[in-house]
Amino acid sequence: MRAGMQHPRLGRIAILFAAVFPHGVVIADEQREEHAIKILEYYCFDCHDSATKKGELSLEDALAKEHFDGTLVFENLLAGKMPPADKEQPTAEEKDAVLNWLGKRREEALPKSFRRISRHEFVHSLNDLLGTSLDLASEIPEDRGTNDFDSDRRIKLSREMLTSYFSIADKMLEAAFPENGFPAEQQWVTSKIRDSHETYRIYHRPYKEGTLFSWTRANNGNSYSFFIDNFDPPVAGWYELTFDAAKVAKITNELSLQVHAGKYYYADDRPQPQRLVGVISVGDREVRSHTVRAFLRPGENVSVHCYSRHNFRSRNPQEGIYIKQMKARGPLLDSWPPTSYKMVFDGMPLRSGSRETLENTGFQTNLQQIGGKVTVSSFQEGMEKEKMQDGSNLTFWHTRFSPKVAKPPHFVVFENPRGAEIKGLSFATWTGGNGNGLVKSYDIYFSADGKSWGEKVMSGGLDVRLANEQPIIFPSETTSRFIKFLVTDSVQLDNKSIASVGKLDVITEIAEPVTISRVAVVSRSEKDLKRVIRRFAERAFSSKLSDEDLAPYFDAALTGLKESDFAQAAKLGLKAVLCSPRFLLAPGEHSNSSYAMAAELARSLWLSVPDEELLTLAASNELRGEVLRGEIARMLAEERSERMIRSFSDQWLNLRGLNKVTPSLKLYPLFDDLMNHYLPIETRRYLQHLIQENMSAGHLIDSDFTFLNQRLARHYGIPGVVGQEMRKVSLPAGSPRGGLMTMASVLKVTTDGFDTSPILRGAWISKNIVGTPLSPPPESVPALEPQHDHAETLKEQIEQHKKSKACYACHKSIDPYGFALENFDAVGEWRDTYKIKQAHRGTFQYRPKGYFKMGGSVDASGEINGDKFGNIFGLKKVLLADERKIAYNFAKKFFEYANGHEPDLVQRLHLWEFVGRKPENIRLKTLVTEVLEYSLSESKS
Amino acid sequence: MSPCDRRTFLKFGAALPLALQSLNARAATSSEAKAPPRRIIFICNSLGFYEPNFFPVKRGDLTTSRYLKELAVKEKMTVFQNLFHPGMDTSNHDSEKSFLTGIPSPEATNFVNSISLDQVLAREMGGDTRFPFLSFSIYDRGWGCSWNDRGVAIPPMHDERAIFDKLFGEEDLSAKRRQIENDQRIVKSLYRDMAQLKKSGGDQQKIDSYRTVIAEIEAQLAHEEFWLKAQKPKVPDSLSNDQEFVFSTKVSNLFELAKLAFQTDSTRVITVSLDWIYGAISVPGATGGWHTLSHHGGQAGVLEKLSRIEIDIVKHLNKFLSELDGIQENGGTLLDHTTVVIGSNFGDASNHTCDNLPTIVAGGGYRHQGHTVLKGATPLCNLYLELLHRHGVDAAGFGSSEGNMELLTG
Repeated sequence: MRAGMQHPRLGRIAILFAAVFPHGVVIADEQREEHAIKILEYYCFDCHDSATKKGELSLEDALAKEHFDGTLVFENLLAGKMPPADKEQPTAEEKDAVLNWLGKRREEALPKSFRRISRHEFVHSLNDLLGTSLDLASEIPEDRGTNDFDSDRRIKLSREMLTSYFSIADKMLEAAFPENGFPAEQQWVTSKIRDSHETYRIYHRPYKEGTLFSWTRANNGNSYSFFIDNFDPPVAGWYELTFDAAKVAKITNELSLQVHAGKYYYADDRPQPQRLVGVISVGDREVRSHTVRAFLRPGENVSVHCYSRHNFRSRNPQEGIYIKQMKARGPLLDSWPPTSYKMVFDGMPLRSGSRETLENTGFQTNLQQIGGKVTVSSFQEGMEKEKMQDGSNLTFWHTRFSPKVAKPPHFVVFENPRGAEIKGLSFATWTGGNGNGLVKSYDIYFSADGKSWGEKVMSGGLDVRLANEQPIIFPSETTSRFIKFLVTDSVQLDNKSIASVGKLDVITEIAEPVTISRVAVVSRSEKDLKRVIRRFAERAFSSKLSDEDLAPYFDAALTGLKESDFAQAAKLGLKAVLCSPRFLLAPGEHSNSSYAMAAELARSLWLSVPDEELLTLAASNELRGEVLRGEIARMLAEERSERMIRSFSDQWLNLRGLNKVTPSLKLYPLFDDLMNHYLPIETRRYLQHLIQENMSAGHLIDSDFTFLNQRLARHYGIPGVVGQEMRKVSLPAGSPRGGLMTMASVLKVTTDGFDTSPILRGAWISKNIVGTPLSPPPESVPALEPQHDHAETLKEQIEQHKKSKACYACHKSIDPYGFALENFDAVGEWRDTYKIKQAHRGTFQYRPKGYFKMGGSVDASGEINGDKFGNIFGLKKVLLADERKIAYNFAKKFFEYANGHEPDLVQRLHLWEFVGRKPENIRLKTLVTEVLEYSLSESKS
Repeated sequence: MSPCDRRTFLKFGAALPLALQSLNARAATSSEAKAPPRRIIFICNSLGFYEPNFFPVKRGDLTTSRYLKELAVKEKMTVFQNLFHPGMDTSNHDSEKSFLTGIPSPEATNFVNSISLDQVLAREMGGDTRFPFLSFSIYDRGWGCSWNDRGVAIPPMHDERAIFDKLFGEEDLSAKRRQIENDQRIVKSLYRDMAQLKKSGGDQQKIDSYRTVIAEIEAQLAHEEFWLKAQKPKVPDSLSNDQEFVFSTKVSNLFELAKLAFQTDSTRVITVSLDWIYGAISVPGATGGWHTLSHHGGQAGVLEKLSRIEIDIVKHLNKFLSELDGIQENGGTLLDHTTVVIGSNFGDASNHTCDNLPTIVAGGGYRHQGHTVLKGATPLCNLYLELLHRHGVDAAGFGSSEGNMELLTG
């Protein structure tokens, strides 16, 4: 440290030193430096002087530099990695002297004054403040960049980010206090399904009153969607989807129904992504109701995938899931009047009518709604015109073919008795079958009397393969009394003129009887409005606020009061609060240290703002010591702490990249969406359990339990787990699972979906579990990614690193960790031999055995810092030998997650000492609590 | 206001409402015969190009490059050999952060970036279009080639549907107007909020940094308000739907959007950052992890797969350049009025080295050289400085530039 500069932590360091030197001797800076360098000279310079430079490190030269980053020396000394075990060791006091001196001299280049809140924190906070539950984080751009943690203080707010915060704040305020009221709750019941493609009928068949689904995996390996027909969410909101379903199979295992939401698969002429909103595990052979809740937007449909033991091509299946019907209900509100009003306008009288539930019984076509009728040229018995008007494309109208084939022309005539404005026709083929009769082209005619048809209005072609609605739009709207759809060409497999149609209806605007329920705050008083803004702002900012502080927000709302009603006026003031630097930049301005602490705790553990209890404690400035630790425990026990578990594990363990890796179905044919869905859940549930139950850090390495369901248990080869709910499962003796490293989530995210890379996996363990700082590869060293189909074994290829001194210096502490995981393939399944991908003929056709042959056998042995291991079991033992180090690394990571920067060396020293102080200090809840208490009280002092 | 005044004005008023410039420029140009505007696009292929396939084997002969021989507009392009960013011999994937800034050590923990070339140009050329600039990437990663004057990453747009809607989609103008008014009120109250914070002893640095962002929002709102008066251009939806090669489709759609944006004069400055370091991608002839393959270590089989990916990208570049060259504008083609800079942050991605950066300048109406091999390693920022001068920015230097070497003639 340069003379004359006041170091912000000098005060505390002096105290630390007082502890080191119990006689109360406080020695001067220069003496301390001299003392530390002497110790380093004595113990380290034998190898690390400028002449020997072992491991390319000359401490002698490094110490002479003004800006020497002592982190590596510090960490190695701290962890006892240096001096090596066979050399003379410094005494505890000497070690402390050096560590303290290194810690102090490290200059912090990073500005630590403030950080912006992340997009996840923004959305969670708004939900908690407004009483909404919207998941809009994905509509805000990712701004973490290449930093490990969202909280990183190097990330600065940009105009683009703030613009999107402005717009998300609007969206969420509108959802909480909609300008035009809340639409009525509606209920739909349907047993009809709609295929995504005309060939999909092979996946299901009519069964009892509904449909039996047997398998959904198609030729390209995708799971296909079957859409629930006649339900379109009228507005964005939460819906309850209840499936009445039963298992049709004599097996113990349960069958799964994946419920998806998204645009109709071939809408806009392209496959649309489907979002998984829930999984239903069907184990009962009696029909039972299963419910999932989903946030749906207009234009989205609900679809299902069935997942049975026949995930591919079971011919004439008699097994599967029987879906009798689906009942949809929504948009749902938790209560009436809605929570948002009750929370924000707490205690104020509200005026609200009742909110009705509208029953949508039975399906009506547009034609029926405008009082129209339909006639056809001819029909086959059982395939009458009603069959193309029943809202399903599984049933259809067919021209007569038996006993005698009807002669053309084949046509459909719509009658429009009230002269409604008709824009066109909506056509859909029927699915399944051999396609005989499907309409390929048509002409349209209008008529006033149904007799004289005049000139053709338009003609066009239709796609026979697609199952979705194909709109036929007239050149201009018509009010003609009669409209004719004349078939001019159709699929004729046996050269007979026939025609068939799955669905045909008119396109016209139907005035939807949307019932709106309104809520109003019964007040026009400025005083009330100010009170509302104050309550909201004090929670958002976690501080008592003066009238002066609040004036800008008051004014924003008060101007609104002149133009609109109370709630709409308040929205302006609330938005100003939500866009304020007091909310978006942390630490904020807090009226006492407890408020500051409350804000930090809520942000770290809930990704949100403090609740009433925290605010009450903060108001009387009681948040410290036992009370503080009690609050941390309470917050961890609350459901909202799952946000922290998810956020922390996503970032620390890099699980955010999980869905960016798509495993090859040629090599890993058993990989599927269902498995992928549960992979990160295992990791989250496990980590949550370790923290909640305050288990030791060693469990991060190994354990005799994990969290599994039927799908994951099958993947891991663990018998006896039935049903898809995740639960704690004891691992059988000899299982390689247990701990983070052998979870399929981690094993998948460290590959590219094809091959595994011991280098990447080694770096993952090294950085995230062991905590060795990595430096980028040196210059001019040929890079190397091993190839599995290479003549040399993978190991031989990587061992090339050993040949080069430059590589070996670092890779000796990276690659071996990765070797130990070689027994796990790119989706985390155990393997003894490598798979070598083989070509397939023509386009890829999915098959459960994949396309590969077996290659060389796996050698998972290695050596790390002199400790040899044979495989993952051995590596776990090696790592568990020093549990303190694992605990210390966890504490460092959690510190970085909570504070937005790595602990500096003084802080590391504190954490290291804490971990070693008592055996119970390696427990995870204890560590989380300590990190928060230490770092928060430090930043507040 | 004379152009010179305007430049001074710009220099001092980062937060100046851009709409003022728009009005100004419009008034000035409406009376004259309309000369086509100059545009510029920067494309960063973040995993580089395999050098032996990229640079011509025979000096000056583009047909002796396995990749460049695919390009149809050889007379309208120059490939530069021996460009680099001084201070960056080797780096990791963070090097893309410095591609358009030239600031060394992007991988360092205390790295602070500075304004990127496109953003300097956007200040000069961006005022007259609905979008002062556009920035694209393949996926949502929050950073790319564009960095603002505080060295903060500008999140690129990645969803081609959303970009198309932003550029050409219909919008409810009265709702948009109300939205702008609403936001302007909020901005006003935030200014008062910050004044109050300052008075009550809030962190000065924090308040100032926030004020800068708010000022930018204010300028943007004024700009948007001005553009409410003009209809968005209407273009048919020409985005590809090919699902077989998703990555390929994405790249080609981003180029298509760039072309449409230039053609409709929706913007004059674009950056595109191309990378995918996660799982495998499929292109005609190869499937594999692009990043994994980029670390080829010289192995022939790997190189063959990698080159399929690189050829696919070159194919899309070729289509983009050819289409720009096929669009006639007053006094030439769209390509003649668009400077296309194609490059990478890696010279050799396999070894993560950053010397001899593959660099192409195409179009722009220059008298092109085909293939220019520079004597000794030359800062890429020299070329950047020249691009600034050629687009009316009177800068003394940019990044690590040593001077304008006049590498482009005509």
